[in-house]
Formats: sequence, C-alpha cells, structure tokens
Amino acid sequence: MSTVAPGARKKQKIRPIKKRAPDASAPDTWTSLSNAIQEIHNHNASNLSFEQNYRFAYQMVVQKQGDQLYNGVNSLVATNIDKLVDAEVKPTFPTTVLGDASQKSPESERFLKAVRSSWDDHIGGMTKLRDLLKYMDRVYVPAAGKLLIWDSGMKLFLEHMLKQPILGHIISAILNQIEAEREGYAINRSAVKSCVDVLLQLQEAYDGPNVYQSSVEPEIIRSSRGYYTREGDALLDSCDAPEYLKKVEDRFASEDDRAHHYLSRQTATPLSQILEETLLTPHLTRVIAMPNSGLDNMLDMDQTDNLSRLYRLFSKVPEGISTLKRAMKDSILRRGTSLVQPTDMDDEGNGEGQPDAAPDVKGKGKGKARAAPNGPSVASKWVEGVLALKDKFDDVWKKSFSSDREIGTACNEAFENIINKNPRAPEFISLFIDENLKKGLKGKSDQEVDIVLDKTICIFRFISDKDVFERHYKTHLAKRLLQSRSVSDDAERSMLSKLKVECGFHFTQKLEGMFIDMKTSSDTMDAYRRHLSKLESDPEFDLIVTIMTSNNWPNTLTQSPPPCRLPESLSKACTNFEHFYLARHNGRRLTWQLGLGNADIRVNFKSRKHDLNVSTFALAILLLFENLGSDDFLTYEELLSTTGMEEPELKRQLQSLACAKFKVLKKHPPGREIDAGDSFSFNNDFTSPMQRIKIGTVASSRVENPDEQKETQDRIDEERRHQIEACIVRIMKDRKHMLHNDLINEVARQLGGRFQPQPMSIKKRIEHLIERDYLERCEDRKSYNYLA
Amino acid sequence: MNNDVEMKNQEHSNEWVKIVSQDGFSFVIKRDVASQSGTLKSMIGTGEGFAEATSGVCNIPDYRGAVVEKLAEFMIYKKMYGHASPPEVIPDFQERIYPEIALELLMAADYLEL
Repeated sequence: MSTVAPGARKKQKIRPIKKRAPDASAPDTWTSLSNAIQEIHNHNASNLSFEQNYRFAYQMVVQKQGDQLYNGVNSLVATNIDKLVDAEVKPTFPTTVLGDASQKSPESERFLKAVRSSWDDHIGGMTKLRDLLKYMDRVYVPAAGKLLIWDSGMKLFLEHMLKQPILGHIISAILNQIEAEREGYAINRSAVKSCVDVLLQLQEAYDGPNVYQSSVEPEIIRSSRGYYTREGDALLDSCDAPEYLKKVEDRFASEDDRAHHYLSRQTATPLSQILEETLLTPHLTRVIAMPNSGLDNMLDMDQTDNLSRLYRLFSKVPEGISTLKRAMKDSILRRGTSLVQPTDMDDEGNGEGQPDAAPDVKGKGKGKARAAPNGPSVASKWVEGVLALKDKFDDVWKKSFSSDREIGTACNEAFENIINKNPRAPEFISLFIDENLKKGLKGKSDQEVDIVLDKTICIFRFISDKDVFERHYKTHLAKRLLQSRSVSDDAERSMLSKLKVECGFHFTQKLEGMFIDMKTSSDTMDAYRRHLSKLESDPEFDLIVTIMTSNNWPNTLTQSPPPCRLPESLSKACTNFEHFYLARHNGRRLTWQLGLGNADIRVNFKSRKHDLNVSTFALAILLLFENLGSDDFLTYEELLSTTGMEEPELKRQLQSLACAKFKVLKKHPPGREIDAGDSFSFNNDFTSPMQRIKIGTVASSRVENPDEQKETQDRIDEERRHQIEACIVRIMKDRKHMLHNDLINEVARQLGGRFQPQPMSIKKRIEHLIERDYLERCEDRKSYNYLA
Repeated sequence: MNNDVEMKNQEHSNEWVKIVSQDGFSFVIKRDVASQSGTLKSMIGTGEGFAEATSGVCNIPDYRGAVVEKLAEFMIYKKMYGHASPPEVIPDFQERIYPEIALELLMAADYLEL
C-alpha cells in the first residue's frame, strides 16, 4: 500500500476521517483484553474472536495506552508461568535424593517431561499473544524501546521458571539421566532432549550464551570428568589392555552419540576431550605396559584389531603417539636384543629356545635344518630373526598403525639400533647373503630369492659401517667365485646391482672388478688351451687358472701366499702357464695363490675308483703318497719338510684327509688331533658309496674367530684411516682454508655413507697430515691451510 | 453482495475466506490472497485456533465496505503482479484509488499489516 500513500496525501480533497467514538474506554478495553488473554492461557482461544482482541490491542496502542497494555500483558504472562510452576512442575520435583540411578531415573524423566510440557504451554500462549499483539510489536515496542512481546515472554519464562530450585532440579535430573544411561540403563532420551532443547532456546542476554551453555553444560562436563576419572581407574583394575581399549572406544562412541542425540552438538567436543583426558592420557603407559595383555602381548599374538584400536585411540591425544612410539621402540629393541644373545653364547647356536624370538614367518631357516656347525647358522639365524622381526613390525605398522610416519621412523630407528648394536652385524648380513646365494637358492624361485635379497638390503640400509660390510661381502663373494659355489650368476649380479643402487658406483666397483676378472680368466683359459693344443706334449692334467687383479680382491686372499712346494708335475704346469701368460701380457707379475685352488683327482682304492675333489694343498700331500705302498709311512716331519707348508695349514689339510668323514689317509696313532710325532699312510681300504667325493678342508669357522675379528677390525681401521685422510685432503684441496669444526663436520658428512667416523679419529688424521706437510695450522689455532 | 450468495457453498472450505466490513458487505477471497495481510493471516491461521480460524469469517468492523473492497482488490492485484518479471506490463494501482477513501485506506492498510 505504500505505493498509494504519497500520492494520496497530496490530494487536497482528502477529508479527515470521521473520528468514531471508541467502542469502549481504555480501561474497559483492557479488561476485556486481559480476560481474553486469560482465556487463551486456559486454552479457550477458539471461543475468542481474533479480530476483536487484535482491535483492542490496536486501539490501546493507537490511543497511547501502550504502556498499560505492555505491562499488563507481561504481568498476565508471568502469573500464568507461576501458575504452571505450581501446578505442573512442583509436584514432580524429584524426592529421592539418594538411591541408585535406576530409581531416580523415572522421577527425573517425569520431572523433565513436566518442565517440557509447561514450556509447550507457555509457547502456545505466547504464539497467540504475539499474533494478537502484533500491532503493539510493530508500533509501540520499537518506539518505547521494549522487548518484543515474544522475547519478553521468553525472558519471563526464564525468570519465573528457570530459577532456583527448578533449574537445579533440571540440571540434576539431566545428570541423573546421563549417568543412568552410562551405567547401561535405558532412559527416555526424548524427555531429556526436549528439555535440553528448551534450555538451548533461552538466552539470558541477547547474543549471550543460552541457558544450556551457561548452566547445564559446565555441570555435565564437571560430572562427566568425575565419572570417567573413577571409571578409568576401575576399568584399569578390572580389564586387560585390549578390553580396556575396547571399552574406551565404546565410551567415545556412546558419548558422541549422546551428545548428538539429546545434548547439544557443541557438547560433543568437550565430552570427548574429557574422555581423552581421563581415560587415555593418564593411563597411556599403564595400558601399553600391562603385563600379559599390553602392547607386547598384542604384538606377540598379532592382534591386528586391538593394535589398530590402540593406535586410533592413542592418536587422539597428543602424547599418545609419542608414548606408542617409545613403547614400540622399546619392544623392538628388547626383541632385537634377545636375538643377539644367542650369538654371544658363541658355540652350539641353539637359540631356538628363546621365548621372545619372533615367530619364524618365512622360509624355515635353511641353516637350521642343516645343523651346520654353529658359525653360519648363528649368523643366518640372527639375520633371519631380524628379518622376521622387521616383517612383523612392518606388517603391524601397515595394518594397524595406518603407516603412521612417526611410528615408522621410531621403528626404523629401533632397527638401526639393534643392528648397529651387534658389532658383527655387517659380517652376519654378508654371511646370510652368502648362505642364500650358495645354497638357499635351490628350490626357490627367482622371485623368492629376490624378495629375500630385497629384505636383506632393507636391513643393510640400517648398517652404519657399510665399509665393514663391503669387506666381508668381498671376502665371501671371492670365495663363492673362486670355488664356483655361487648357484646363480644372475642372483649375484642382481645383488650387486642392488648394492650399487644403495651405495653408489664406488661401493661396488671392486666387486664388479672381481666379476670381470672371472670373465677374463675364462677367456685366458680358452686361449691357453688353444695354445697347449698347438704344442706337441700333452699335459698330464688340465690346469685352470683364475687371474685376479690384486687390488680388486680382498687382501686376505691376495696377501703373501702361504708357501707350499708343489710336486714337479704341478709346478711344471704352473711354469708353462706363467710363460704363456707373461708372453701375452708383458710386465705383469703372477703370484700363485695355491690356497684358493682345488683339484679333481681320480684315486685307485682297493675296492673301486673314486673321484676326489680336494684342495690344492691336499693334492700336494696326496701326491706324495702316490708312489708309496700301502704300508709305507710318511711322518709328520717328513711331510712338513717336503711340502714346505706352514704347520697350521698342514695340520688342517691332514686333518681333513685323515680325520674327517672320508679318511683317505690313515693316521698312526688314530685320533682327532694331528701331533708332531704322527705318521700317515695311504688308506687303500677306503670305501664310500659315492663315486665322487668332495673332501672339504676342515673349515676354519665361517664366522670369524676373535683373532680374525681383530685382524679384520685392524684392517678396517687402517682402511678408514686412509679414507679419512683422503677425504680431508680432497676437501682441503678444494677449499684451501677451513675451520676445524667445519672440516670435521664435512668429513663426517662425506664419509657418513660408508661409516661413522669418530671426531677424535678425524682429528688424529688431521694431525698426521700436518706432520706430513699436507696441511698447516693457521695462527688462530682454529683453522687449517692446505699446502699444495 | 451477489457474490456472497453465489459463493455461500464454499464459505467454509479452506480455499476461500470471507471478509465482512463494518456496514455488512462481505468479500470472499482466496485464502492465500488474504494471507498477504499479516493481520488476516494470523486471524485465519490454523495454528492459533481463534474463532475466525474455525469459521473462516473475518469481521473488520472499523472500516466501510468501500475501503475493504479496495483492500481486497489490492490484495488480488498484489498477488497477481507481486512476482511479475520486468517485461510484463504492470498496471498502475494508484489510478484506481479514489481520493475520498485514501486516508481511510491508509489506516486500514496499517491495521491489516499490508
């Protein structure tokens, strides 16, 4: 109608409206209106004419009696609320103060329902009043700066209904209901919800928190905290870890559910926070460490579900993950340490009885079945143990801990710790690979082998002293190559390429050199055979020589060869080859490493012929008996002087010939040990079901004995010294001038890929270099200059 | 007045409501049209349960038939063109208002919350 108004007003003709006499005077109007309001409160609205009462209110406002109208209505509303309180709410006040939740529950429910029904009543009245008094709301209220009648009604309800003690009763009733439900009783959720809804709608101040937030929520939170603190202690005492976790998780779900169903959504967050603070945070360590059911036990039993639950819950609280991390680390370390122990009890190697040893997940230890003399089995058992452990934890990590990065790091750290705590880890790992490449591969597909090797590489990554590993690997590889015991060349190469990926070209350079040597050797041998066939004289036997470039192969093998005087036929062949080779490659020097060779010979025994495979040394000894009768003896001293071998070596050889499984020689007197006074004869009565016999040299144990360990360590130390020096020189050549600390850090960083150099040793090397005039100390005593 | 007789059957249906003026004129209009007035809306609103809601008859005893008629006319006009899109030609309502009832109409509109 506003479109009409301006135009209409301008017209001159408009007559003032005839002022009609009001139907009734103001007091009368009010009387009838207040009667009508009371009727409304008595639910008799249908008898009333809306228009009439609307008109009354309209008239009162128009006639400037708004104040009377407004105040009158408010007092009527207030009276009505008081009446409701008396009639509906008061009779339902809970009477039992004590008693258990199940008894209180129905009372609370009835009370809450009463509150709600009076609220509904009030709202019903207020809606009608709001409509009736709409004109007042529109005209009088803004002008007088009062509250809209609806808001005023809410306020009155707040003042007259939600006051003490009713509010207190409401709160305690709600708390009762919640507690009853927590205890597992069914409650009438809708009763609570309807009441909470009322409280949610009411605000004490405009834009302020509603009554629920200001009065009820803090109470709920307070009581929940108390409840769950008690609950947490009680649960801990009565449940084992998985059960505890399960209950806690249920609590989380039910509290969330509760908050969403009949409390306010916003309460969900503080409630779950309370749960975290009462059920999780204080009990983290206790749950993890629970005997017979804690983390360790779950890991042992592969309880993936429980572990996932553990992770889920723990990740809710800030300290959770770190606690779990620590616990995992400890657990791995403990398991790892128990793996290391069997190797410390050096011989026997039957550490199967270890209770904590992780269950053997894969490939039931090759070494174990074979009952091999302790050495290799200890090594491979250890590596297998570590592998199994790693598999297990990786599995748990993936399945239960959703590949949590922090935990993963902790696990890796722990493994690194385990592996580097065992000083012989590099040796063991190399041995394990050796074992696998030698015999483990039989009956396994390429993929399986690949998996095993990949896993080994995983462990290898943890090793900090990679140069030690390199040394061992080199030795083992050399043995495999020379004795051609490697099952598959491909596997060897793939292992090599894996190492190359891990540590770079530098690391595998020499190892590859060894392969190349093997290849050139076989080429050379072809050439040599062609060369021999051109000669008239047929050789008495085939000679196969492997030419090793001395700096590619491990020092232990290429160092000064053990002396041995060969029988003439053999030494002649050697000289022949020497001539041939030196004619092809001028200026090279050949050193015969007899200790690494072996020979196939056919021996006539009384019963039958046997093909024997013996070491070159053993061959030299056997040849001495070639032309002797079966009753002729050679004494130990004779053998010693004829062969020119070192005593320990000779003893070893004799032992393998005379005392081991195949007794090709007879020892007089018989016994296991070789003594200086013994004498030997050829055992013509030797029998064996097999045609081909391999007579292994009595092995100097495969895992190094303490002397060898020390020697290896010395070698490694020496090599490291050189590497550190080389590294220092390299850096200084580049920088010319450097601070002491910077230099040390840089050296440590560059060498970190191979081993962890000690600052002390770096310092020593620097001093050494200064002595040798590579470097000089600057005047400030803190830095060095490079001297070209 | 003629309308009154014709529409008598539908008086109590939900679709139509009757507005009675001071001098006894009745205007039967559709409920949704009447509901444009805030006052009429609450008067006939089913939620409140006043007498008018049950009977479907709204008395407006303060205003003459001429005013109420114009009001009803405006409500229909508003209903029809309230949501009209621009290309549609909206006739001007102002022309239809007689000056002699203008002021009364204005007050009635205020009363009816139009």
